[in-house]
Amino acid sequence: MANGTAAPERVISGAATKLSRTVHGIAYDAEHDEIYAPNPLADAVLVFRGAANGNEPPIRVIQGPNTRLVVPHAVSFDPEHRELLVASLSNRTIAVFPWNASGNVSPVRYISGPKTRLGHVVGLGVDSASNLLAVANSEEILMFNRTDNGDVEPVAQIKGPHTGIGDEPWELQVYKSRIFLATSNHLHTNLYSGVTLKDGYTKPPEDPWLNPELGFIGVWNIRDRGDVPPHAIIKGPFSQILHPTGLALNPKDGEIYVTDSIRNGLFTFLVPDFF
Amino acid sequence: MPYYASRLLCRGYKVYWLKPMIARLKHRRLLWLLLLAGGVPAWFQFGRGTSGQESALDWFGVANAQESDVTPMGGDIIPLRQVTDPYPVFNGIAVDPVNNLVAMTDVNRKSIVSYDRSASAGARITPPRRQVFGPLTNIGFVAGIYADSEHKEILAVNNDIEDTMVVLRYDAQGNASPARILSIPHQAWGIALSRSHDQIAITVELQQAVVFYKRDAQSVTPPLRNIRGPNTGLADPHGIVWDDAHNEIAVANHGNFRGLVRDTGAGCAPTGTADPEGGAVLPPSITFYSGDAHGDQKPLRSIQGIRSQLDFPMGLGVDADHNELAVANNGDNSVLVFSRTASGDAAPIRVIRGDKTGINRPMGVAIDIMHNELWVSNFMDHTALVFERSDKGNVAPKRVIRTAPPGTPTPGFGNPQTVAYDSTRDQILVPN
Repeated sequence: MANGTAAPERVISGAATKLSRTVHGIAYDAEHDEIYAPNPLADAVLVFRGAANGNEPPIRVIQGPNTRLVVPHAVSFDPEHRELLVASLSNRTIAVFPWNASGNVSPVRYISGPKTRLGHVVGLGVDSASNLLAVANSEEILMFNRTDNGDVEPVAQIKGPHTGIGDEPWELQVYKSRIFLATSNHLHTNLYSGVTLKDGYTKPPEDPWLNPELGFIGVWNIRDRGDVPPHAIIKGPFSQILHPTGLALNPKDGEIYVTDSIRNGLFTFLVPDFF
Repeated sequence: MPYYASRLLCRGYKVYWLKPMIARLKHRRLLWLLLLAGGVPAWFQFGRGTSGQESALDWFGVANAQESDVTPMGGDIIPLRQVTDPYPVFNGIAVDPVNNLVAMTDVNRKSIVSYDRSASAGARITPPRRQVFGPLTNIGFVAGIYADSEHKEILAVNNDIEDTMVVLRYDAQGNASPARILSIPHQAWGIALSRSHDQIAITVELQQAVVFYKRDAQSVTPPLRNIRGPNTGLADPHGIVWDDAHNEIAVANHGNFRGLVRDTGAGCAPTGTADPEGGAVLPPSITFYSGDAHGDQKPLRSIQGIRSQLDFPMGLGVDADHNELAVANNGDNSVLVFSRTASGDAAPIRVIRGDKTGINRPMGVAIDIMHNELWVSNFMDHTALVFERSDKGNVAPKRVIRTAPPGTPTPGFGNPQTVAYDSTRDQILVPN
């Protein structure tokens, strides 16, 4: 495994890939050996073969008005039900597609509307045991029934000061009913709506990464409710992570992979008991 | 014992390992009591196990809001491995021949580095003239840069998620506060300046727009105008140059197009707009506009098509004297030079590409007409390269600026916000 100042083993990049340089979500489907990556700036989800390399085109593209994708940021693959979940940031929605969806297809389910409380959605994941969908929302974790559709209320939430979850929690993974969350805790203040200044601001935004409340990796049980602290945590100066955003799991080796935008790096933690 | 292994044992790992052991002992005692009493709840079983058959709720138990005083396991754990790059990595580049300065944005260490224009590294790290970095600077995921020779200021755009432009005096050093900060839309990338208009123009990826401000705008100031809309041809715009001599603006577009642009939201601060957009991935392009353009105006002309060889076009440089436009063509490790008036599926008039050039995922390009030089900033090689302005083909650079010893690899991270594990290949996937 890579360590230190390492070059990537392969790079998927170039115009033929249809990737943008803004990719805020990625998922790997081991059964079909495929990679899912959203292109938020083209309202698309791209599917690559697992061994893709170089300027290689995607094998499938989910894109078009029927998909109802608007700036899709996060993807999650549900291997048990062979479904792809896509969180669109700008329209506050979650669209669910069959794993092999392609083209201008309608989602099989679409969670959207004021009852959902969906806001800044980046991370999401399904727990088959409880049949719940966990969503990293604006400042909390929301739980929906996995098969929810339409304007539905979440069935539960993990939210409050004891959780430690602040502004814009980022990537989320679910493993054996445990929610792993990259709790970034940066403070993002956007003064613009599109290219128009919003009213009421007199000062430019503070540096979003200088929030003294550091981010962390937190682990909750998917049946936790309310203002509960994480059962497990990675946080502090020795961890080297400041405001983590990316999070992936390798249960077989007991490892967690974390990316941190401030450190501009990738960190591996050996935590077998977290699994 | 390796440093990290010793730290692992004497600090994070030891603590993290003991706590669950103690917890397990307590739980096992309780388990025996429960067994004697006639059974245990299904969720209250122990041992991590590998069968996958145990209840998914076995390990943590379930907590409710009133149970908030539990000490979590884990803590301040030292990473087993880390992939980071300790050296600056260049993004944008700007040259000021009048003041003998070249400046680059460093997306890796979040700094702005400037050098004497004539500096050269050889096989060593090039000593910078200045480096501005630290919490007071407001420099973040910094991208486009402009060196204003008249006012001796560096203007640099933070791309994501700082949403600001910082302005530094040429003599700023270390953890220096910017001379001024301007709030700008989310996902801005490129910056250009017009002396005739005394304005700056900034590209905004997410909004497929160019926004204009007074040159010295600061704090919270609304844009003077913008170019935006489905007729503009803007599609994930990045590099931008303002050719005052011909009153034209050129913009490099990656081609990612957000459909009907109905959503007027702010990207990461959603507005709730639910209109379907129907995006598309268009061929990369260079679009040209009048320096006075505004609104949903069509470009004066566009370069787009297979013959153009455009592939992730990033920074642009204009040479009004020779009527040429240079493009940092990130996708195929080249610099393309077009006629300034080229249109349609036009081929470049020169291309710098090949193993001798040292061009490696170029992000920025700048033309120094005074010294007849062309500058390139590399993203994947800790270098900036200097070529003769008219170089073409597989030529070696005449000078190199280095931020790391030659051959030092770089992960190529640029604000990595997501990660996945490829269990088939035992590889970690990190998009930018």
